Amino acid sequence: MTAITESMTQKLNAAFEGRINWRYFLQDNVTGSWYLAVWVVVLAAATVAYTINQMNVAPLTTIIILILWLVGLGFAIANGLFKKRTAIGSWLKTNLLGSVSNAILSLLLVLILAAAVRGIWSWAVTNATFDPELTKPEFRNPDGATWGVIPGAWELLMVGRLDREALPRVQMALGYIVVLGVISIGANVAGYLKKIRPLRSILLGLWAITPIIVYILLAGVSAEGDFINSKTLLIGEAVVVGLFLLLWWQRTVKFSVVNLVIWAAAWPVAYLIWRAIGKSEMFPPINVATWGGLMLTIIIAVSVIILSFPLGMVLALGRRSEIRGIPGWLLWPVAAILALWGLFVSTPSILGDIRNQADYVLAFWPILILGFAYLLQKMFQGNVVAAASTTFIEVIRGAPLITLLFMAIIMAPFFLSEGATLENVWAVIIGYSLFSSAYMAENIRGGLQALPKGQFEAADSLGLNTFQKMRFIILPQALRIVIPAIVGQFIGSFKSSSLVAIVGLFELLGMVAVIVSNPQWLGLRKELFVFAGVIYFIGSAVMSWYSRRLEAQLGVGER
Amino acid sequence: MAQNISAAPEQNIPFWRDERVLGVFAQIGFIIVVILGAKLLGTNFASNVNKLGESQFICRDGSFSYRCAYDFMGSEAGFDISDTALDYVNTDSYWYAFYMGLLNSLKVGLLGVILTTFVGLFVGIARLSSNWLVSKIALWYIELMRNTPLLLQLFFIYFGVLLALPLIQDASPVLGLPIFLTNRGLSIPAPKFMSAAAIWVAFLILGIIQFQVTWILLARQEEQTGRATNRWARGLIGFFIIVIAGWFISSSVSDTQGLLTSKASRIRDVGDIEKVMLNRTNLDYLDEIDTLSPEEVDAAALKICVLRDSASEPNLIRQIERIGAPYTVRRFDRPDQVTAAYVEGDCELFAASKAILAAERATLENPSAHLIVPVKESPIVWSVPRYDGTNIFGGSKLLPEFTALLIGLTIFYGATLAEIVRAGILSVSKGQSEAARALGLSESQRLRLVVLPQALKVIIPPLIGIFLSLMKDTSLGLAVGYPDMYQVTFTTMNQSGRAVQGILLLMVVYLTISLIFSIVLNWYNSRNVLVER
Repeated sequence: MTAITESMTQKLNAAFEGRINWRYFLQDNVTGSWYLAVWVVVLAAATVAYTINQMNVAPLTTIIILILWLVGLGFAIANGLFKKRTAIGSWLKTNLLGSVSNAILSLLLVLILAAAVRGIWSWAVTNATFDPELTKPEFRNPDGATWGVIPGAWELLMVGRLDREALPRVQMALGYIVVLGVISIGANVAGYLKKIRPLRSILLGLWAITPIIVYILLAGVSAEGDFINSKTLLIGEAVVVGLFLLLWWQRTVKFSVVNLVIWAAAWPVAYLIWRAIGKSEMFPPINVATWGGLMLTIIIAVSVIILSFPLGMVLALGRRSEIRGIPGWLLWPVAAILALWGLFVSTPSILGDIRNQADYVLAFWPILILGFAYLLQKMFQGNVVAAASTTFIEVIRGAPLITLLFMAIIMAPFFLSEGATLENVWAVIIGYSLFSSAYMAENIRGGLQALPKGQFEAADSLGLNTFQKMRFIILPQALRIVIPAIVGQFIGSFKSSSLVAIVGLFELLGMVAVIVSNPQWLGLRKELFVFAGVIYFIGSAVMSWYSRRLEAQLGVGER
Repeated sequence: MAQNISAAPEQNIPFWRDERVLGVFAQIGFIIVVILGAKLLGTNFASNVNKLGESQFICRDGSFSYRCAYDFMGSEAGFDISDTALDYVNTDSYWYAFYMGLLNSLKVGLLGVILTTFVGLFVGIARLSSNWLVSKIALWYIELMRNTPLLLQLFFIYFGVLLALPLIQDASPVLGLPIFLTNRGLSIPAPKFMSAAAIWVAFLILGIIQFQVTWILLARQEEQTGRATNRWARGLIGFFIIVIAGWFISSSVSDTQGLLTSKASRIRDVGDIEKVMLNRTNLDYLDEIDTLSPEEVDAAALKICVLRDSASEPNLIRQIERIGAPYTVRRFDRPDQVTAAYVEGDCELFAASKAILAAERATLENPSAHLIVPVKESPIVWSVPRYDGTNIFGGSKLLPEFTALLIGLTIFYGATLAEIVRAGILSVSKGQSEAARALGLSESQRLRLVVLPQALKVIIPPLIGIFLSLMKDTSLGLAVGYPDMYQVTFTTMNQSGRAVQGILLLMVVYLTISLIFSIVLNWYNSRNVLVER
């Protein structure tokens, strides 16, 4: 017996000979510094304690994990000592079992993960019920999830309290977008987009009118009013033709009779189609206050991004505008006259009716005009456009989103003209878009600043006017740079649209509160939160994946 | 653009293409549009105010003026706030209630900023760990947090976790520590500051100054002699001497705590309690109290009365427990309630500050029959939560709403910060680390002196942005019902019907906060511009 032991020891010694220096090993792994030693000891103690704990709770898994760990350790040691390089051993050694502390930490983490997975699994699967009929409190398992609430409340989660008769219209809108999306992606992948030029234009056109189609389907067109309202028709016509003339003046569109006729005909045609749809009562109006669930979340997120993009671009260009400001000789006299006028008119009336100390200060408000003039001159060289854009952006960015949302809902009625009303949904979309456009402006400004100055100078030296310079040289490049930021912001809009639940709209999270107050699904919050979380997670993950793909396609960062 | 072109062709440019002229015209047009828009909105506002909310601008004397918009804030608030930093009762003004809300917001914000920094640093470094598992767990944590809305996380923590905790009847210490986690919140031990703390803090500052001075002097000496000294040890020894001396000096100097007791109780000093107890129990030593039956102990126990959550309670209890005397504590909300109980004979001792006791003694029938006994005080006493079977007393109680908001903000912004920390550390080029190693610096020196200073310059600007976002998102307290500035304002708006004023007030406060942050950011940026090659 002793002989065997001795020979074993000898063999082991021979095996390790020259392969490992225990002193160095210890110094590297444990005794190198006092905090390393403390860390290893504490970690080891915690791991042992936790292993013993887990042995009592779930012996089988723990033993399997321990065995796997030991086997892995064997692989890693074999890899390090005996030059027997196995793929798995190398991987384990670099990634999990590289040092003593790493090896112990890996074991501890695997045990904790196993316990967590076991806990989640038993709640979500083993103890869970899935039947939509068995969601009442008396049928539930207190230790498990009641997933039946999700199919049970599916329509509420998806479209909220929308009239169920309008469901086919929601499906039509969804179908339209899905079909268009599939065709676009398919054509892109198959390479038809480059081969057939008209296809590209047609698809772009269809995407461009998608918001209008979706609006018609989901909100409907009212049949009220005359078929032809000459006032609307004329004003619209004037705006369209004016726009055409402006673009022509800026040399962005060519002037020809055909072009003019197309532009001039666009508005009446669109208007008449609109009225025809309304009069035919194919799509009668739906009360937008009944919108809810995931549909509302998506509507808000998409509207916000569509509206905030042009607005943000205008703000960004405004903030960077370099037009010569109002000169001092004009600004100061005007400011002085206004301030004096205020001091002579308003101040005496306030001073004549003092109520408290604050009024003494308040009475001299016209002096602020001079302060503003000073700031305008000092910070913006008198450039009113830059000053207004910057102020707007900074004020909006300084306040939380829910302030803007409440402001939109509570204060909008105060600013509407006589008799006009605004549904909360639209108020929220407008407020949210204003909020979002400030951030969008900053993103786009980042892209503009990242462009080398040479691009601006080259455009100038070619004799392009400002509009052409922006349209053909600057914006295409700047926007390409900021794609990641814009997609990031889109994800942000998608996630933050949950905040409209606070102001009383029933989007996905708002719907959860409604559903859990139903006696049938009373208190099933966790399940619904998990479901909503999964939807948000998938949506955001898909978008960021797409953004990375788009970046690669457009070659962002490579010039 | 126009400046770049030489002077000669300038005469040829017609005015409708001269950018300078066009610019001025565009701006004048812009101003006119803005003024017209403002006028339209203003007219609408004025007519709507007349229709919808004339009462919003009514002055105290009944006249109508926009100047009176905020007058209502001076009147009685009339609602309760579940968590306030200072004393607040519902008869205080709306302004004061708003102030309480602001303090709550700042409390969550500042604690959140501190915790977020720790979480962000920890996860950011974990993300770069050589251990695959650690790095992947950090990655999944970050992805999960960044791809789901903050509001959903808050709801999940609040409804799914905190409100699902045990009821207060089933409270038990967590991990054997004096910490109680129930669906009414988290109770943790907390320091209570006595009046002596002010003196002690002065000593603390003195100690820090001493440390700095020692440090500078020794550094100068090191430079002159070229010999290393142990600056840390020498500085810290002086620091601890000053701080410990300060502790005893401040507790012996300060004399604000007292006990109200009748002369008949024969307690003239806290030390007398032992004698009184021995008399009552007929024991020779209080250690033998275990030999008595529980009923006898109860009968002999000192009946102490205190004000709820006052610092006097832990201060006195600590001294009585040192003696080993049995006691019972009753807690009251107001001094006059204690006095009433004291008169009834339900309290033998009334522990509070001497000022309160003197005032209460004066209301007694025969003040001279009662004494105010001085009680020694430490600058800081630990108030430990205790569970008496139905309720939890003492310590510091964090409401579930507060806890949910704090945890939610911390883990959400911690994940965002982790990515920034990671990017910052990765931004330091590999050559820097290699150069540091080549110079023979140790690993900690490499991190401390080479990598971190460079990484911090990249990390800090977005860090300030994150802190600002966190401050703004404390407004989500509204969603879980935490009485932050937002919730208080909303209650105010609902009660008074003055929506416009409330929203404007919030805007102003948030703009001020964000202005402060951007001033800090600009100041930092101007001082620490990254030197680029």
